[in-house]
Amino acid sequence: MTAFRTTRRSLLGAGAALTIPATVARAQGPARGGDPLRVGVMTDLSGPFAGAGSLPLFWGAEVAIELFNERGGVDGRPVQAVTADSQSKADVAINEMERLLGQERLEVVTGIYSSAHAVPLSGRFEQSRKMMWITSAIATAVLKDKNFRYVFRPTVHSDQYGEGSISAIAENAQAKLGLAPDKVKLGVIYEDGPYGTGVASAIEANAKSRNMPIVLKEAYSSTAPDLSTLVTKLRRERPDIVLQVGYNPDITLFLRQAKSGGLRFKMLIGHGAGWSQIDRLTETFGGDVNHMCNVDPAATQMLDWGKLQPGIGDLAKTFMDRFQAKHKLSDPPTHASMGFNNTWIFLEHVLKPAVRKSGGMSADALREAALAVDVPEGGTIQGYGVKFAPPGDPMAGQNQRSLAVVMQFENGKSKVVWPASLGQPIVMPLPASNAYAAR
Amino acid sequence: MDSFLLEALVNGILLGGVFALPALGLNLVFGVVDVVWLCYAELVMVGMYAVWFLYTQAGWPLWMAFAACLPVVSLLGLLLHLLVVRPLLASPPINQVLATGGVLFLLQGAMTLIFRTDFRSLGVDMPPMEVGEIFVSGTKLAAFCAALLGAALLWAFLKFTYVGTAIRAIARDREVMPLMGVDPQRIYLIASAVGGALAGLAACLLVVQLDVHPFVGLSFGPITFMICVMGGLGNMLGGFLAAFLMGIIVSVGGFWGSTEFSYVVAFGFFIVTIFARPRGLFAR
Repeated sequence: MTAFRTTRRSLLGAGAALTIPATVARAQGPARGGDPLRVGVMTDLSGPFAGAGSLPLFWGAEVAIELFNERGGVDGRPVQAVTADSQSKADVAINEMERLLGQERLEVVTGIYSSAHAVPLSGRFEQSRKMMWITSAIATAVLKDKNFRYVFRPTVHSDQYGEGSISAIAENAQAKLGLAPDKVKLGVIYEDGPYGTGVASAIEANAKSRNMPIVLKEAYSSTAPDLSTLVTKLRRERPDIVLQVGYNPDITLFLRQAKSGGLRFKMLIGHGAGWSQIDRLTETFGGDVNHMCNVDPAATQMLDWGKLQPGIGDLAKTFMDRFQAKHKLSDPPTHASMGFNNTWIFLEHVLKPAVRKSGGMSADALREAALAVDVPEGGTIQGYGVKFAPPGDPMAGQNQRSLAVVMQFENGKSKVVWPASLGQPIVMPLPASNAYAAR
Repeated sequence: MDSFLLEALVNGILLGGVFALPALGLNLVFGVVDVVWLCYAELVMVGMYAVWFLYTQAGWPLWMAFAACLPVVSLLGLLLHLLVVRPLLASPPINQVLATGGVLFLLQGAMTLIFRTDFRSLGVDMPPMEVGEIFVSGTKLAAFCAALLGAALLWAFLKFTYVGTAIRAIARDREVMPLMGVDPQRIYLIASAVGGALAGLAACLLVVQLDVHPFVGLSFGPITFMICVMGGLGNMLGGFLAAFLMGIIVSVGGFWGSTEFSYVVAFGFFIVTIFARPRGLFAR
């Protein structure tokens, strides 16, 4: 399958995005009634993060803005995206933020793929009293105990990833592996940025609370040229289940070296980012990644749209049709849904009421509208609801109704396997035919 | 010896073999032309894309894609010398470094435009060798052997050919050799082409181990420079040996400590080395 096909048109698009970082995307469609509402969209359009989910995140946001404008924007006022490419570098992200807030005089910037960027950026947004609307970066540390007033995150946070994977293992250990949960040996490997560290800490805390032994917990740089020693150590410790938190070059490097290094396990669970790119992984490893799992917010196509709130299933279908028509992906990654969904939540539930109430879109008006959002479960295309933790809460600005699920890969597609109430039974251990299966 | 420790040691030696080739190429160019190609890892990256494209898109057999990669990157090395380095030979070293640094970004940007930021893989895998409890990656072993063969061929070229002798002579004394009838410009061109070919060979070895993307140079570029400086910039044998030393430090250090710790040890060792032996560990 060719997931990201290179065409003359796509090259021109990429060229425009890369060579003109401050592209201003003019709104199309019927919204015609007044001054455009200018919204920043900062993602990594180049650098390693682009291939690890940031591009689909951007594309999802792009579809959300197009659709919002086609549906009339805010009483005829279209949204105009002011885009920025943070180039997978924290220093570039900071410079671009300064440009968006200073030169472009924006009141809100959405996007932010990486936690390594979100951590330094969040404090600066707060200091500038401008809104930061995080659609992807998940490290709990971005918000925990910061009491930010202008930073909001509608998506999940890293603690939920640890809860997801450990719960899925614990709930299935006896039935599927014939082991009591406290006898299942875990190996945790993670990239050493805020994202990996945050998720790994959550895994450790959840495992500890269930007395599940972690036989190896080790960080590595996502740009490391070699992980064979890590493979050797994992082989020595013989974990039943390997939990990995990584981007993309490191995930494929690990899988390749694990295979050639003789590492075998009963299950491997990834935690978002590179593990969300199932098209890529399947293209590289074929059936070898079958039945491996990933924790993330659900991509919308994994959900039963009939169970969502009225109208949301139609919205999900419209998004999927448009996204697939544009990008020809057989199973769009979670980041595509995240980009659309979390941007849509902002446009529909924050921007629209703020503009209607105040006539403008100051960060304070947006903030007030965000704190008033109350979307019930099933009210977004990723299945979760929206209610932000208020100021004073240890996780102020975090969507308290966000939900991470565990999904399992099968022939290039993902299906939800946890929570049990939402998903299908998990296949565990890895079938004997899998190249990584413990025998 | 603990079999897992032995495996880590073997892995370190194999890793050193992979680092050795780019270190050799970089040292060759610096030793002869006296210019650091800051974009050396990006030449390797272009070579990796060439192999990937010819093998997976154009449908060439892998050996033909490898064979084509060497002249392609060699030509790139030549062009780099002719278009960027030669006009700046008389300029201060900082200008040369900045110019080749500019080429680094140019190549990254060009590859991003052409191939986008997706991670490309050859999908080639060799079965591992299992000796007792030790697993040795077949791909890494093949790459290691190819690196040794490449180094041996380079040594033979430098030792037994007239041009090779001239290259070594220029590397030893850039001022005097022109007086002896050696045309330095011609030797610079040849050294750049050979340096490029070594980058091409390194690309062939790396493309079977790492995914290709425009920023893959970040994975091995910095450590290659460190190896060259540690072995003595311009000292080919020193760089070659330092590559193995670094591979073993990274691998065994990671085994005893952690993967991150191994790089702390490696960089610490590097810093101590340049304090103790500023001209490199193996400088004579």
